[in-house]
Amino acid sequence: MGYFELALIAAVVIGAASGLVGTIVVLRKRVFFAQALTHATFPGAVAAALLGISIPLGAALASIVIVGIMALIGRVRRQGTQVAAGIVLTAGFALGAVLQALHPGVPIEIESFLVGSILSVSTSDVVLASVVLLVTVLALLVFGKELVFQTFDRRGFAAAGYRESPMELLALVLITATVVTSMPAVGAILAIALIAAPAAAARVVAPSPRWMFVIAPVIGAASGIIGVVLSRVADVAAGPTIALVAAGFFLLALLVRRMPRIGWRTGVEAA
Amino acid sequence: MTGGEQAAMAGGVTDASAPVLSLRDAAFSYGGAPAIHGVSVDVHAGEAVALIGPNGSGKSTLLKGLLGLIPVTAGRFEAFGAVRSGLTSRQADAAARLSRRDIGYLPQSDELDPEFPITLEQVVMMGRYRALGFFRWPGRADRAAVTDALVTVGLSHRAKARFGELSGGQQQRGLLARALASGPRLLLLDEPFNGLDQANRDALVETLRLLKTRGVAVIVSTHDLELARDVCDIVLLLNAEQVACGRTADVLTLPNVQAAFGEVGVEVDEHTLVVPGHEGH
Amino acid sequence: MGDILVSWFVEPFSLPFMARALGMLLALAVVAGVVGVIVNLRGLEFISDGLTHAVFPGIAIGFVAGGRDGLFVGAIVTALVAAVVLTLLTRSGVASDAAIAIVLTGFFSVGVLVVSRQTDYAGQLDALLFGRLLTVTDADLWRTVALCAVALVAVAATLPGQLYRAFDARGSEASGFRPLLNDLILTCSIALVVVAASSAVGNLLVLAVLVVPGAVGRLLTRRLWLLFPLGAAATALAAWVGLGIGFGVSVDDGISLPAGATVVMTLVCLYAVVLLGRLGVDRMRDVRVVRGVRDSGDGVGDGVRDSDLGGIRGSAGVNA
Repeated sequence: MGYFELALIAAVVIGAASGLVGTIVVLRKRVFFAQALTHATFPGAVAAALLGISIPLGAALASIVIVGIMALIGRVRRQGTQVAAGIVLTAGFALGAVLQALHPGVPIEIESFLVGSILSVSTSDVVLASVVLLVTVLALLVFGKELVFQTFDRRGFAAAGYRESPMELLALVLITATVVTSMPAVGAILAIALIAAPAAAARVVAPSPRWMFVIAPVIGAASGIIGVVLSRVADVAAGPTIALVAAGFFLLALLVRRMPRIGWRTGVEAA
Repeated sequence: MTGGEQAAMAGGVTDASAPVLSLRDAAFSYGGAPAIHGVSVDVHAGEAVALIGPNGSGKSTLLKGLLGLIPVTAGRFEAFGAVRSGLTSRQADAAARLSRRDIGYLPQSDELDPEFPITLEQVVMMGRYRALGFFRWPGRADRAAVTDALVTVGLSHRAKARFGELSGGQQQRGLLARALASGPRLLLLDEPFNGLDQANRDALVETLRLLKTRGVAVIVSTHDLELARDVCDIVLLLNAEQVACGRTADVLTLPNVQAAFGEVGVEVDEHTLVVPGHEGH
Repeated sequence: MGDILVSWFVEPFSLPFMARALGMLLALAVVAGVVGVIVNLRGLEFISDGLTHAVFPGIAIGFVAGGRDGLFVGAIVTALVAAVVLTLLTRSGVASDAAIAIVLTGFFSVGVLVVSRQTDYAGQLDALLFGRLLTVTDADLWRTVALCAVALVAVAATLPGQLYRAFDARGSEASGFRPLLNDLILTCSIALVVVAASSAVGNLLVLAVLVVPGAVGRLLTRRLWLLFPLGAAATALAAWVGLGIGFGVSVDDGISLPAGATVVMTLVCLYAVVLLGRLGVDRMRDVRVVRGVRDSGDGVGDGVRDSDLGGIRGSAGVNA
């Protein structure tokens, strides 16, 4: 299998997983959190490259540390989650840059961590992303309705006798895993586009939250494929192209909604 | 410069006998069908008006309309001698902004960030900000107005306390002091007695009486008929339209109150009318 | 030890390029102390992050079209356009957080695509993203100072309105302030700071200048007016120490650290130190409060109320 075919498979798998998890992110209004997480994986990836360990592993370890730090700052009075995300985000970039500078001998393609380089993904990257996609699908099949319930009505969820923390943890694990595996495709900066855009587009057109979990991964996968093909045709970087295609789908969704006589979207808006 | 002098300079009428506020069959709308209509009332300096009606009857809407936050769509509306109805939206905005200098407004109790790093004194000073304009900082007159407002609401001993550390009732009175600090000629209070304990309620009633003697016109929305009898000269019963309006004793009758609230929930003994309490929102 | 203090933190600044870098950062510190504190009080961290990304294509296109001079023009134009669009989007209520993230990563992608068409793509992208603090020219310095001054004047002129709106948005509108005007002035000022800081610490690290000073100030004090000088002082201190460390390490140990990233890391470390100090002080205070309750049984509320200190959310007694 050639590198281009591998890139296409990676684009589909990563796009679909980002769409699925992005739906959770968008419904739970955790976009800034997810963005901080994506940005902050950058130093983990740099450190992993320097140490010679697997890059997703480094990014995953960094994510765990980062989630811990954000949780700590978020709990402190007068600081809160926005401050936590902002600080972690910018600290991540600075740390990554400093780490790289400390080891000038090791050649690191710093741009590939920032904006992705899907044409150079390895088979193991694709396998890992596939596993994450599979686990996400399974988790949503098993716990999906509880997750949606808790997202929409936390008090009602607690009142119905559920415990909230397992759902929080599940959401957190899925978001982190997806962010880490999407790095090779779109990098630390642009990952949020692939997570937010398909899900936001799906929310605009989907008749119910359940449909979002179907439409978003399809849009994500389509963004991936179209982005990779376009970038080859136009000879530009793949990561930004994928992000722009995903943003294009979001705009398209908005346009579709603005058109009043779309027959298949029945009875959603009374106002 | 007092609010009165400003109004005079802006061309408003300062004749003492002229009403501060005058509405004739006025309607207010968020866009679309009017939210309230048929409102006719004159309010003079030193008078207090109670707005009474069930939840959702448009009391807050009327206050926002008077403030110019939502437009008047029919009838006649004058404030401080200036006509405010029949204007283009741009004119209406300009007129509303001008008149807000003479209006103090206490919104329904809001969720304000209790951690915001600000003292009670600084909150009250915000009432003076609008008149300051760009680049000007509070001077002696502003500080005197703040001190005076704090004395009026009886909170001068808490001036340096952080706002978030005050009790709910004290915060409410602090926001009233902010509304007073600009020296308003008209005070609009939206459900100020909600959730107040007896001590804070009494303090607020005292403050309102004091303001009336100083010639401030007061409009207060409330569920508290007792309060209306105690402090207010005029009662305006509201339920999407004006049900009745006039001298307190004339208006607070059983048929009128039942017309505003519907039969359900109005309990009557020999001399008292009781309306369903506010359920929060 | 004394030698290191002098050779790292005093002597280097007699070199013109170090003095220019420090001057640039001090100008940023002053403006960060004002604009950054407002960002904190208004909770505009996410919008600020969005603006840093949105400015990037302007920097990239300007750089490609007109070199360093073009970079400034392009960045300022894009920054102001992005600020206006963003303000209108958030105000109209159509844009969720997701929409903002999408639009702004879209902007960013355009910038990367533009740079990626250039021949020596790698090195340039790096410089634009992480800054080139040690190679700034006098012209760069003065442009930064000018931009900072404009942003500072705009925010200072509207400071009462900004504070009122931060504390009580509905109240400020009811008393006659224009929310749209306030927001436009503030976001445009943030955008100008982003442009000014981009050439110093780089586009990716600008957010530190906007977020950290306010956060440090909030940890240190509950007095409103102290927030501003504390935020500025923290940034200035980090700039001085960070530049010194970067210089010292490169001379003594032969490791060339990126200056912008080093300064930002110093600022974040300063934040971490203050945060831990705050937590420690609060813990001791809580213990004292609990003991006070046991000993006297009353007067505790007043003692805590007059203090200038906070604590972890939900900790005992502080909310009395």
